Amino acid sequence: MEKVGLFLCTGCEIGQAVKTDGFEDLAKEHGAATYVEHQCLCAPDGVEMMRKAVDSGEVDGVLIAACSQREKVTEFAFDATKVASFRLGLREQVAWSQKPGEEDTQMLAEDLLRMGLARVGKMELSKPLAEEIEKTVLVVGGGLAGMQAAQAASGLGHPVVLVEKNEKLGGYLAGVKYLVPEHPPYDDVAENNIGGLIAQIEADRNIRVFTSATTEKTTGQPGKFEVSISVAGGTESIKAGAIVQATGARPYPGNKLEHLGYGKSPNVITATELEKMILDGNFACPSNQNLPKQVVFIQCAGSRDEEHLRYCSSECCAITLKQVASLHRDYPEVECAVVYKDMRCPGQLEHFYLGTQEKSGALFTRGEVSGVEGNGNGPLSVQLRDSLLGADAQIQADLVVLAVGMIPNSADSESIREMVDAKARIAKNESEKQVADATALVETLKQHEGTEILNLDYRQGPDLPVLAYDFPDSHYICFPYETRRTGIYAAGCLRAPMDAAQAIEDGWGAAMKAVQNIVSNQRGEAVHPRAGDASIADFFLQRCTQCKRCTEECPFGAINEDEKGTPEYNPLRCRRCGICLGACPERIISFPEYSVDSVASMIKAVEVPDEDEEKPRVIAFLCENDALPAMDEAAAKKIQWNPWIRIIPVRCLGAVNTVWIADSLAGGIDGILLIGCKRGDDYQCHYIKGSELANTRMTNVQETLDRLSLESDRVQVHELARNEFERIPKIFDEFMEKIEEVGPNPYKGF
Amino acid sequence: MASQPLISSADFRKELQKRGGDTVSRCYQCATCSSVCQLAPDDAPFPRQQMLHAQWGLADRLAADPAVWLCHQCNDCTERCPRDAKPGDVMQTVRSLAVENLATPRFMGRLVGKASMTWPLLLGLPFVFWVLVLYAINGLQVTLDPEKGLVYDQFVPHWLIYIVFFSTTGAAGLAAMLSGLKFWKLIDNGKRRAGSFISSTISVLWEIAIHKRFDKCGATAGRKWGHFMLVWGFVGAAAASGLIIVAMYIMHEELPLPIMHPFKWVGNIGAVLLVFGGVMVLGNRLQENSQAGKATAFDNYFLGVVLTVIATGVLIEIGRFLFDPGLACWLYIIHLTAVLSLFATFPYSKFAHILYRTLAMVHERMTAKQ
Repeated sequence: MEKVGLFLCTGCEIGQAVKTDGFEDLAKEHGAATYVEHQCLCAPDGVEMMRKAVDSGEVDGVLIAACSQREKVTEFAFDATKVASFRLGLREQVAWSQKPGEEDTQMLAEDLLRMGLARVGKMELSKPLAEEIEKTVLVVGGGLAGMQAAQAASGLGHPVVLVEKNEKLGGYLAGVKYLVPEHPPYDDVAENNIGGLIAQIEADRNIRVFTSATTEKTTGQPGKFEVSISVAGGTESIKAGAIVQATGARPYPGNKLEHLGYGKSPNVITATELEKMILDGNFACPSNQNLPKQVVFIQCAGSRDEEHLRYCSSECCAITLKQVASLHRDYPEVECAVVYKDMRCPGQLEHFYLGTQEKSGALFTRGEVSGVEGNGNGPLSVQLRDSLLGADAQIQADLVVLAVGMIPNSADSESIREMVDAKARIAKNESEKQVADATALVETLKQHEGTEILNLDYRQGPDLPVLAYDFPDSHYICFPYETRRTGIYAAGCLRAPMDAAQAIEDGWGAAMKAVQNIVSNQRGEAVHPRAGDASIADFFLQRCTQCKRCTEECPFGAINEDEKGTPEYNPLRCRRCGICLGACPERIISFPEYSVDSVASMIKAVEVPDEDEEKPRVIAFLCENDALPAMDEAAAKKIQWNPWIRIIPVRCLGAVNTVWIADSLAGGIDGILLIGCKRGDDYQCHYIKGSELANTRMTNVQETLDRLSLESDRVQVHELARNEFERIPKIFDEFMEKIEEVGPNPYKGF
Repeated sequence: MASQPLISSADFRKELQKRGGDTVSRCYQCATCSSVCQLAPDDAPFPRQQMLHAQWGLADRLAADPAVWLCHQCNDCTERCPRDAKPGDVMQTVRSLAVENLATPRFMGRLVGKASMTWPLLLGLPFVFWVLVLYAINGLQVTLDPEKGLVYDQFVPHWLIYIVFFSTTGAAGLAAMLSGLKFWKLIDNGKRRAGSFISSTISVLWEIAIHKRFDKCGATAGRKWGHFMLVWGFVGAAAASGLIIVAMYIMHEELPLPIMHPFKWVGNIGAVLLVFGGVMVLGNRLQENSQAGKATAFDNYFLGVVLTVIATGVLIEIGRFLFDPGLACWLYIIHLTAVLSLFATFPYSKFAHILYRTLAMVHERMTAKQ
């Protein structure tokens, strides 16, 4: 920007920590048009003064040197399409964490001002995104969660299209007679009222229901999805602003549980099969149609088992309780026994557990089932080991019910994409080895054939990427329903195993997320975690080398590519994380307020003292999501740290371009720290892959440094959880010790 | 332990639940009960394991388990149980089923075990017996002695008492001995019994005499004195009965003994203890119902008979002077009915706990680590 105003707040101890006498000259020297000091900038008169300066056209860029960018957000908010603004956290980085009045403290503050001025100077205005945004919410899956999402979105004034694969709505609950209790006293089964909800959905004029229908193709981006729905006798085309996927889960197949007698005796059935018997009112041993005297339920059948489902589906305990209570209600002469590893009955389910035990008098006993004896139509005997009895034990049974877990009805988008790519390689037939490898890969991935659900035309695959155990939940610690596809939200058992009450809540939650996405797009703003960010990425395609790094690495599949591999950016899919900016070796991707150049100029603005002054300089890139707030917290607790570190907040560690490292080292900076969120299986990265990518990229940088005989220790990557604020000064101190050990940057002074 | 796998029995569990152990299904084996029980030995804590065996319906295990009888139903477990599974009640029910299953002959066990239905028979039969026999002897006519007024042995002759009670107690005693032997063999669970039976029995009897174990009870600490007085009251009454025979046949004294006779006083002190004890036990039952445990027909029958014996016993002693002789005699018939019922059902009613608990305690002492 041309006319940058520097607004310096001297409140909150900033004025006591540094001498501000020379700041005006410094500001003017570095291109500031205006310099104003204020004792409390966030007070109404301070805010008013800044607004006036902007509105009068006196300044077009605002640098606020006050508290952290996470504080006083409303007071210091400016319309990014009219004025570029940037915040320097002088309070946290100088006043609260450094010794007041010291030379180093003063140098730090002055460096920060220079860095801020350089940044704002290079910032640009955001261009408002004026897109026509479709209001319709598409819900895929007409089970409880899907119907609830449809009803919620409709109630919020959005047209809804509900697509159900089966002939009728209702999903799993359409095949169920009783429910787990949802109301006090929670001690007995509840009547299933899914029919009532189905009737409401069918009567809702805002909801178009397609049954026996599937999503054939989904193109475009949030706010303007074009969806072809395959229906009986043709195709329907609809537009949708956002999508809720609630395709539910399916039971773990009984035929994989032969060790528990399934298939060997017709009288070993799964809980799903029992559910149907209860619904149809024909509960009987399949072998002879007699009413069984003794029924044994085996919990965790194929769950929490290395060879089957490794996870707990969390609902099988409740379902078994429900089935025991249902049988006691409908067939009181039937005796039930339940063998469990642990009964997992969180919350109100304890009342149901107790009530069921009391009413039915059933035996609930802990143990591992080692086998089910008895073949054909004869009586069965469930063999137990590791029971509390301390000896092998048996329970006789006429019917054995396997409480099987849930498998989400998801499609593994990344594997499907991998398979498609492998098939393309086979078709290309470039070399024998390549074809052989690709054929082998296709073989290992063949179970994904034809599993597509949404059929997205995304470069990264046709569906929601899945995480652990095939659940497409994004693992966002604080953000359920989010997936790795913007504007598409997962609800119900697709997201995590759950009961009816949770599915209702999930339907609501996902619908509200979908509506929020539509409304944000209408405003031209990003959704979580950079909610309200109006900037969009700019691709300077003339210089693109079609390396495909951006299209590969975007965690949200925002970038498609044409046949040559040129990126096709979909701004409405974008979450503004900047990982593409970090990925691009040609540095052609930038955001108006966050570009390779603007950050590089911050680095260059740091004044590096001569080697003999023995004042090393370190640049620390801190992720705004966890590391920066942790540092702010450390400062708020007045924990002091080394004054030679210059902090640059970044959108994500993945949004750190390696050229910044080169720029720093070339400028005589002695070391570079990157602090981001935790990665790995239990990652906390808000953009899923950011920390991981940063780590890979920095490993490459370190290798380069070694090649150039520059110590690779000068670049370090750290991971930090939001609550680990006390580690911040330790990381800084240990890094400074390391820098002292390796000595000053040999490029200093060049 | 057992090489044979244990097999769950729904039938035994159902029986147990029907008889008053219905809360057993609530147990989730947290072992709070075993940790709070002050009577459970460290190396073989109860009642968690017994709850599990009860849930599984392992009747054989429970029958051979001395711990079932070491329990004094303090109900500390019931009070602390987080799921209200009432281990105290379950143990009590297990004991009542054990009494039934160990009974010789078995049908007597079943008869008393199902006291909820059979109590009119258990009380009615002795009553009808006395009425018919006395009708045959004296047409139920009371003759008053001109000097002494009402003399009970002129209404019910001593020879009749001897015949009826010596034969009944003899039969019951024999049955109890056979059942006791069966029990003694059953609980011989492979732990070596060391030490002498006699000396162990003596120390156990001393322990019972001073009610040492009741002191450890928390939830029902007040129960000790009621039970203590009942036990010693019965000892007094039994001693008085013996002394009266001594008075009659060795000292050749005439009945009824004068009020101030020392033998009479043994009985009277016993009677006072019985009355106080009886009132306390009844009070406990009625007041702190939750702590005292569930009152099953099995319990109520025994307690009812005991209280009837005490009440009528006292009333007939006073009634000789105060009541109409006809009324006093009918009270005497009721008294004899209750006493007969009590003695005849000794090995089959809750009364049998004297036998089994003592044996279990002797077994515990003999198998205890030295």
